Amino acid sequence: MIKLINLSKSYGKLVAVNNINLEIARGEVFGFLGPNGAGKTTTIKMLAGLLQPSGGSALIGGFNVQTEPLKAKFITGFIPDRPFLYEKLTAAEFMHFVSQLYDLGDARKQTSELLELFGLTEWENELVENFSHGMKQRLVMASALLHGPRVLVVDEPMVGLDPRGARLVKNIFKDLASKGVTVFMSTHTLEIVEQMCTRVAIINKGEIIAQGSVEDLGRMARMPESHLEPIFLRLTGGEEAI
Amino acid sequence: MMLILLTPRYRALKNQLNRFAPGDRLKTAVLTLLGLAFWAFLFGVSYRVLSYFRTIEGLGDLLALRLLSMVLLTFFSILLFSNVVTSLSTYYLSDELDLLLSAPVRIEHIYRAKFIETIADSSWMTLIYGLPVFLAYGAVFRATLLYYLGLILTIIPFLVIPAGIGIIVTMLLVNAFPARRAKDVLVLLGLLFFVVMYVLFRMLRPEKLVDPDAFPTLVQYLTAMRGPVSPLLPSSWASEALSPLLRRTMDGSLFSLLMLWSTAGAVVVVGEWVCDRIYYAGWSRSQEGKKATLSRSRAANAFSRLAVLPFRGKMRAIVLKDVKLFFRDTSQWSQLFLLLALMVVYIYSFKLLPLERAAMPSFYLQNLISFLNLGMVGFVTTAVAVRFVFPAVSLEGASFWIIRSAPLSIGDFLWAKFWSSLLPLLVLSEILIVLSNVLLKATPFMMGLGIVTVFIMTFGITSLGVGLGAAFPKFKHENVAQIPTGFGGIVYMLVTMLFIGTVVVLEAWPVYRIFTSQMFGGRIPASGWLWIGCSFLLVLAVNLLVLLLPMRAGLKRLREREV
Repeated sequence: MIKLINLSKSYGKLVAVNNINLEIARGEVFGFLGPNGAGKTTTIKMLAGLLQPSGGSALIGGFNVQTEPLKAKFITGFIPDRPFLYEKLTAAEFMHFVSQLYDLGDARKQTSELLELFGLTEWENELVENFSHGMKQRLVMASALLHGPRVLVVDEPMVGLDPRGARLVKNIFKDLASKGVTVFMSTHTLEIVEQMCTRVAIINKGEIIAQGSVEDLGRMARMPESHLEPIFLRLTGGEEAI
Repeated sequence: MMLILLTPRYRALKNQLNRFAPGDRLKTAVLTLLGLAFWAFLFGVSYRVLSYFRTIEGLGDLLALRLLSMVLLTFFSILLFSNVVTSLSTYYLSDELDLLLSAPVRIEHIYRAKFIETIADSSWMTLIYGLPVFLAYGAVFRATLLYYLGLILTIIPFLVIPAGIGIIVTMLLVNAFPARRAKDVLVLLGLLFFVVMYVLFRMLRPEKLVDPDAFPTLVQYLTAMRGPVSPLLPSSWASEALSPLLRRTMDGSLFSLLMLWSTAGAVVVVGEWVCDRIYYAGWSRSQEGKKATLSRSRAANAFSRLAVLPFRGKMRAIVLKDVKLFFRDTSQWSQLFLLLALMVVYIYSFKLLPLERAAMPSFYLQNLISFLNLGMVGFVTTAVAVRFVFPAVSLEGASFWIIRSAPLSIGDFLWAKFWSSLLPLLVLSEILIVLSNVLLKATPFMMGLGIVTVFIMTFGITSLGVGLGAAFPKFKHENVAQIPTGFGGIVYMLVTMLFIGTVVVLEAWPVYRIFTSQMFGGRIPASGWLWIGCSFLLVLAVNLLVLLLPMRAGLKRLREREV
């Protein structure tokens, strides 16, 4: 469902993402890990069509994000790490606006279902500027699911969420995956990855240094049966720094 | 789709109007009243000037129409620059672009929606404040309905053309510049604007038009007055479209309107073509990190260290941070070019004063102007302060929590802002007063008075800027230019003008007494000196109050403020 072929991005001399190749199947929850500045957000932005790759290509549902951006975006839901919202719109107005961007016609039913699901029903007529960070994050998630995407691209989903919100999001992602939605998720919350992800890739200094299931990564790091945190630290060379 | 993309702006505006907090209603009422008063003032002034022109037989209409072409050229240049800056924001820096570009929306739809947004953001002020001038023309020339219809038909393409050109220029600039310095383009724009304004100003040759002696014959003078500023400029077409309508004919109006509309159409189409080819690549590049190069140079570091020498401890830390942030934010320090232009124009205008031709004795007039110059320097300093000092507290933005959570008193924080703003303002205001007095050949007394008064007043102007900036902070802003445009900025301008006016009025009588006694001889009696002393003491007292009260008000409001 998602295919990254020799995907690269350079900023002048700095190579942020270097020739990465990934293939993620339908219904997978894929964890994309890496230290700060490793190239995670750059990759995600290229996948969401927000950054132009310097080389290679990103395909979603068989559509090239660069050459067929509209087709790719119609089947993708994107949740950024920093939830941008129009501060002076109400939650319901924002959802209505997004529904129009995706040509959904009358989406009132889906809107109220999603606002209910994310616990925002009683806030639907409040201005977004009065929302907490976590509420904004939930609203962004609700809007990303509005058009029933086949692929969900998520950058740091748990930042700002309370434990209940985090549990809710985990359940929703699992549920979506069981219905065939592919979730591509970058996160620093390794516990989430252990609980949810079918496969994981670790990016470091712009290159994929390991990929597979959590068990596979454990074997690569010669730490079978171990939790993901020590595995991650060993693979990314972060152990020595501690 | 284009309309859908515009709905958030429309709904946000509607929500803002529908959900007034009690204080907001008052603020809006005050702002509306002030706006209307200014609008009426503009209309009144334009009406009187044009009515006066019409009384000059033979030349009057020519002068009025020449003025119209100048007004239009000025508007056109302002609109052009304003559109370049605005489109950089709407097309490249706006937060909503992440959402729009990750959604299945065609680039051309984004182009069109943003085009309208750019026009609205960049032109509303020019349009609103241009209208009274155009209406005054209609009233003075007793124009028919056709003029007003022509006005609407002229204004629309007249706004579209600079917007289209501005957007194309921005797209080309963002694509041409190294991606990491997308925002630095603003520096270039500041300079470009300065150059363009200068060139346009020279093209106008305004000094010649009020001086028929500069032309060898009256025929040449009349020819210069009749000729368009430049036949290829859209402002000339607008002028050529409106002028006949004012004279109740249609000669050339239709052709000029056609030129305007066809150019506007062409600019929109070319813009869409350019956008289709280079916008996405440019936007992608503009998101890449911005590197502070110039501002991290050795010279900049040395300057920063020098600037904080007078400060100690935490105050030094705050000032050092402010100096660094100022020089690393291109949108801030590029304004210095405009400041420089303002200073040069101000001082140069004194050089051009035709004092020798005035009816009053030149010596008397020079010193009268020198005295009034006190107030003028105060106003110029205020204009600079509203841009650089008033935003000082608001610039902390979302990072204000760092200050609030640090072991630093709000008082120290605010006084650090005060001192770091005061020093550059003092340098500026003293340069202005000294140079303008030198050019005016003012007496040593007037020079001394100017230096001392401006010195003291700058403390008040700074205190009002920092204090009211803290009392009405705007922590949520997209760029610095937005900070002084709110209610607080207007309050600051009004209170400062009142303050400067009070100081000038309080000094007027004693200065007049001293000056006339110096000029015409004659002793001032003891009671006279007593009154003079009282007046100057009152000036000091007013300055002291204006130094302390705004800072106290700012401190109180800032302490009460929850982050």
